[in-house]
Amino acid sequence: MPKVDLTIEICGMSGDGTIAAGGLLNAAMARAGLSVMAFDSYPAEIRGFGRCVTRARIGDEEMLALHDKTHVLVSLDDEQSFSRIPFLADDAMVLFDNRPPSMVSEGRSLAAHVEPGISLIGIPFGDLAAQAASTKRGRNIVALGGVAAIFSLPPDYFREVIRKKFKAKGEAVLEGNLRSFDAGYEYTLENYRQRVTDTLAHMENMEDPGRILQSGNVAIAHAALDADVKLYFGYPITPATPIMEYLAKALPEKGGRVVQMEDEISSIGAVLGSFFAGTRAMTATAGPGFALMTELITHGVMAEIPAVIINAQRGGPATGLPTKTEQSDLQAAVFGGPGDSARIVLAPTSVKECYAYTMKSFQLAEKYQTPVIVLTDFFLNNRVETMAMPHASEEEKRDGNIYPAAGSKESYHRFAVTESGISPRAIPGMEGFIFTTTGLEHSEKGAPNYTPENHNAMNAKRHRKIDSAMTDLPEPQEFEAEEGGLDVGVIAWGSTFGAALEAVHKARNKGKKAGALKITAIYPFHEDPIRAFMGKCKEILIPELNYEGQLANLIGHLHAKDVIRMNQTTGLPIYPREIYEKIMEIG
Amino acid sequence: MAEKHFVVIGSGPAGNQAAFTLRENAPEARITVISKGRESSCVPSLLPDFIAGKIDEQGLLVCQVGSYKASGIKLRCSQEVVDLNIQAKELILAHKEIVPFDGLIIAVGGMPRIPERLQVFQDVMFTLKTLEDANFWIDRLKKVESVMMIGGDLTSLAVTKTLISLNKKVYFILNEDAFWPLRSNEELFAAVATRLAERGVDVLVGRNVKSLQRLAGGEIQVQVDNQYITVGMVGAFFGLVPEIRFLARSGLRIDRGVLVDEYLCTGVEGIYATGDCAQIYHPEISDYWISLGHENARTLGHVAALNLVHGDKQLEVKPQSIFEVQGINVNTSWWTEF
Amino acid sequence: MKSDNANDKTIVFSTEPEDFYYMDVNVPCQGACPAFTNIPAYIRALYEKQYVRSYEINRMVNILPGVLGRICSRPCEDTCRHGESELGQPVNICHIKRAAADFLGETPGPIQKELLIRDKKVAIIGSGPAGLAAAHDLATIGADVTIYEAFAKPGGMLQYGIPEFRLPRSIIKAEIDRIMELGIHLKTGVRVGDDEAMETLLAEHDAVLLAAGCYQSNRLNISGEELPGVHSGLEFMIDVCQGRPAALGNRVLVIGAGFTAFDCARSALRLGSQEVRICLRRTEGDLVVTKDEILESKVEGIKIESLMIAQKIIGNGKVQGVEFVRTHPGPLRPDGKREITTLKGSEFVLPADSVIVATGQKPVPMKTPAEQNDRGLPAADNRSLQTSTPGLYIAGDYLSGPSTVIEAIAMGRRAAEKIAEDLSGKCFRQWVVRMENTQTTDRERAWDFIERQAMPTVKPVMTRLRNVSLEIEKGYNPEIAIEETKRCYLCFLHYEIDIDRCIYCRYCIDVAPRDCIKLVDEIITNETGAITGFVETNNWSEVNAVVIDNSRCIRCGECMRVCPVDCISVTRVELIERMEPTEASHG
Repeated sequence: MPKVDLTIEICGMSGDGTIAAGGLLNAAMARAGLSVMAFDSYPAEIRGFGRCVTRARIGDEEMLALHDKTHVLVSLDDEQSFSRIPFLADDAMVLFDNRPPSMVSEGRSLAAHVEPGISLIGIPFGDLAAQAASTKRGRNIVALGGVAAIFSLPPDYFREVIRKKFKAKGEAVLEGNLRSFDAGYEYTLENYRQRVTDTLAHMENMEDPGRILQSGNVAIAHAALDADVKLYFGYPITPATPIMEYLAKALPEKGGRVVQMEDEISSIGAVLGSFFAGTRAMTATAGPGFALMTELITHGVMAEIPAVIINAQRGGPATGLPTKTEQSDLQAAVFGGPGDSARIVLAPTSVKECYAYTMKSFQLAEKYQTPVIVLTDFFLNNRVETMAMPHASEEEKRDGNIYPAAGSKESYHRFAVTESGISPRAIPGMEGFIFTTTGLEHSEKGAPNYTPENHNAMNAKRHRKIDSAMTDLPEPQEFEAEEGGLDVGVIAWGSTFGAALEAVHKARNKGKKAGALKITAIYPFHEDPIRAFMGKCKEILIPELNYEGQLANLIGHLHAKDVIRMNQTTGLPIYPREIYEKIMEIG
Repeated sequence: MAEKHFVVIGSGPAGNQAAFTLRENAPEARITVISKGRESSCVPSLLPDFIAGKIDEQGLLVCQVGSYKASGIKLRCSQEVVDLNIQAKELILAHKEIVPFDGLIIAVGGMPRIPERLQVFQDVMFTLKTLEDANFWIDRLKKVESVMMIGGDLTSLAVTKTLISLNKKVYFILNEDAFWPLRSNEELFAAVATRLAERGVDVLVGRNVKSLQRLAGGEIQVQVDNQYITVGMVGAFFGLVPEIRFLARSGLRIDRGVLVDEYLCTGVEGIYATGDCAQIYHPEISDYWISLGHENARTLGHVAALNLVHGDKQLEVKPQSIFEVQGINVNTSWWTEF
Repeated sequence: MKSDNANDKTIVFSTEPEDFYYMDVNVPCQGACPAFTNIPAYIRALYEKQYVRSYEINRMVNILPGVLGRICSRPCEDTCRHGESELGQPVNICHIKRAAADFLGETPGPIQKELLIRDKKVAIIGSGPAGLAAAHDLATIGADVTIYEAFAKPGGMLQYGIPEFRLPRSIIKAEIDRIMELGIHLKTGVRVGDDEAMETLLAEHDAVLLAAGCYQSNRLNISGEELPGVHSGLEFMIDVCQGRPAALGNRVLVIGAGFTAFDCARSALRLGSQEVRICLRRTEGDLVVTKDEILESKVEGIKIESLMIAQKIIGNGKVQGVEFVRTHPGPLRPDGKREITTLKGSEFVLPADSVIVATGQKPVPMKTPAEQNDRGLPAADNRSLQTSTPGLYIAGDYLSGPSTVIEAIAMGRRAAEKIAEDLSGKCFRQWVVRMENTQTTDRERAWDFIERQAMPTVKPVMTRLRNVSLEIEKGYNPEIAIEETKRCYLCFLHYEIDIDRCIYCRYCIDVAPRDCIKLVDEIITNETGAITGFVETNNWSEVNAVVIDNSRCIRCGECMRVCPVDCISVTRVELIERMEPTEASHG
């Protein structure tokens, strides 16, 4: 059991610096040797006013999921924080601005709503900032000082991350923020000495410089850079935009380019064109953009052109819930598009896997000459986790293409029907290897050909190729299932898996025989290991953040009896407690 | 018409009792208790026993944690009232929230008093009102062998008893500030002094502290007239001053406490004061009276609440109010002496 | 307020009623000062280390800054915006005034004098604050002024009513000497009525001003008041000030609640009394004496007893005690004081060796040709200060009854103005509102959080009591004084948003320290055009303007610093007295 497991939440109005404060807090916590998983939620509107919430779960062990209860709520705007009250733990602590600019009527202060067991810590955020820096804009930084003081976190780590963030804004701004932090720190020590705990005072990894904080989006971009992607084509869409923003800065430094296209259709077109010409490229989008891409994705299937597409899922259908998380594009990713257009779909479950699978998708796309879709979701894309700096070996980075053998020029058939389904691939411009490519059904040489025999053979070859890919795809991974004889087996994918595993751990602590299976290769999937796991379990529970039970639809038939579906479309991540309670209900 | 909103300021013995009496007598009303402290206050008179190790923290509490919620009383902890508007019937809280009320009971109690002339020595004197104070005493007592008690209120006698039980050497300066705000007289002085001396206390009657000085080793050197005594720590026991500074601008009648009539009403309809912070004018005795002690506070809290709801229950006068403290009969008397 | 073009550097003088109204509401300290001292201006001058200027801004209207800087009753501080309940404590206006006098260094040159009414002779009876102020003003416009003083030294109550430990005699002397250098004749030891007849004065002068103060002590009119050991407060103080104090014994009861009662009590301690009590009819909270004065008295060991009225003085050939009866405060009267009723049957006795009765004083009747009022005193009109005898005027406490030094000075000046007007048909001074665009805030927001700087006093108490004439308040050092000046909001700065240029971005509201910037539908004005209120709205479609409510504004300057379009102007508006002879208007 972890010694430290706290969820800290900062809530404010957009403009209060909520997200910025969350970022600094996470960075300082990570610097102090704590494991952090953090997730921000922005106002639903892309522009305008609204609530911002940043939640961080911190602890001394690796984090698998967020916690549903908040232990520390920092309110930068009480009106925005009222809705967070029900999520407070019974012994939570609330930090709020006890000197707001104007009088408020009864009930319009957070203080009116907290239960007696909750520690109410009033800190004049605005006034202290104004006092320290002559402007109250640093009130979010004052609040950080309060958090640091209450938990005895070494203030130097905060000063360090504040310096890093503000050094570019000039000495005055930096000094103002440092003074604001100190003001909050000192005020809290002075006024709440009795509430101070040393829970977070001394962590073991305190001086480990290798640990970084990374979001799923940055991990994906990072992998793209490491994979030597030269071109990124895209059209901005929440929650995938940060990938483009990151690469827009980083790619040109490595001689690459980011091109904002007129839409998603042209984006995937350009990616296909780039791969066709032998250059690694990538695009990232979300549901609505992915829908636009489907025809050209099947073009990649048909013309056997590699492509890497990140689909960062959000609430759907259509424009749906742009700023909410959901796992409802699985069917679209696996089956979307005209024709029998099998393609490879991977779904990472953590930030680390976002890096690993993005990296892997380039080789897979090249080797199997087909689009590879990396299916992430809002929560995974935007959450940050502490981790060691990810890296890939030369082997993992290398070109995945299977080129035609030298000397085969005369007899070169670009789409030769092979046992594995893989036809050696020449890149246009390779001397002597001449072929045509088309989205029409084609012969082994690439010429349009609609004969019944040819279409049958080619369809079979393309699907054989996908089956062959199975050997290169990550197998399902069992947890707590070595001994078998489980009452409940939880199968989960994407960001839900971490919560599922934590729930299983918790259930086992309560004596429940529970195990978990992680599936990251969504398509093609490994039937036998899945069946084997199911065979060890009386009941199979598949929690998913979608309404239809899209993974259950895909693999449910492998179990001897009906799988138990747990579908949630709240737009919020699923919490371990919710799955835990479901597990305890079963059997 | 909307339900009535009754507010009680303070959750000590008086405020606590007032809130629960209100609940019983006004089942429909909304009741809010606003308290500077944490969820449950402690009974100050039990603190000496706590220092002596005779009772634990749980035993100090005015009421069980959670009992407010169970009774449907809204308790606002760690919140402070900074102003009262008697015309609008509104309270202003320190965090700038305006709380309107239909009825108000002020039961803020008092805080340890240090006479102005000794305030420059405040840093080297220990007082005892809160659990936090008690913990400071416990900490300090581990390190010292002797204690100088100055003043001489009811608490001081209980503390002296505790100190003797802990085998500490006790000096006691019993002076004119003793039993503040009660009338002190030579007879009483003599009785208390004798009793203390019998228990081995070094009593200095009617002597004045000239200076207090912390020595390098942490001990305190006390100058009493021209005599110097070095002790481990100094306790100041000059009674309590009501914490009613927040009422200064309110227009309520205030002297040492909030002036109230025999019904504990402040003279403003719907606003009552009770417990240690009330200075009660009683026509039958033609004078002012202030209550002391835990049981009295409860009674007063009860009466204020009944009067707020019903407006007719007169406070029962107990002219012979006697307190049994450490075997010494202390006549609390009527409050004639300030 | 007219003329608010930001680029307009011209200075405008206004006598419009709306501008006077604005000053009264928005610069409350100046409005509260009976002499209308331009408080923000002298505080700012001191901040700029212009000590002479700071002193002179005072002296021009209140004549005796060094004296007032010590013993003024400070009505200004009660209205100081910094003292509003959510803003902290008022600025220590009085002690800043003293600092200006303390830091003067070289005595400023002679007071300017213009020979406008040089042939007019004026006699002034009494050299107290009222008489000195009148003499000063008349002398500066050239009148030939003679002061008749009954005591041996000039200064009236300053010299004979206030103990040295509160007001060193060197200060009185220096400030009076400088006034006398205007060419005023001073005749001390002359008691008009006894030594010199009023009729003679009237015959020899163009005008006579009676400003003889209040020197007859009120009596309690209770039995035993004639006993030895019962002293009148004023006579006791006069004796103390002349160095021949009465012997008091150990136990002293002072009956009274004013400055005199406190002066008597503190003097008694210094004369060796051990147990000194001040006995109040009402409560400590009702005292008009300053909080510092009360605290210092208690620190010295004085006890304050409340809710009691003396019934009779007990003694056999000598005072032995006083019998009191308890009082009970009733409802508030229109004058802000409470009705007092006595509680029958609550009589009790306090023992005493001496009793000092300091319950006020009244003028000593004087024979004049003028009509008398019902108290047997010469009557004068409260506005014109004229008696029924042409050329005879009355001012100061003699007319108003016991008041404060600053009120007496203000009335003395009014008398001088009236006399000059009657003698010449001209007005020599005029109050105007001066407006100047400054475009600078002159302040930092952080200054709003500086604590009120305490006046350093002599400690320990023994030192004070041993040295009877030692001034207790030591004065600010320049560092503390400057710190205190920073606390002043400079209410004479008027902030205004130019609606035509405002883009409604609301940045100013975001950084506002309180609800000082308002979204309004309508601005309410009174018949003179002065702004008296706003109709606020939260509904965007109803917002007609973003306005700064100058009665809420604390002049922190944050709005001006963040405004992206520079639409906030700052105008320095001051109520000043201009020396500008004009024909007197009648009506």
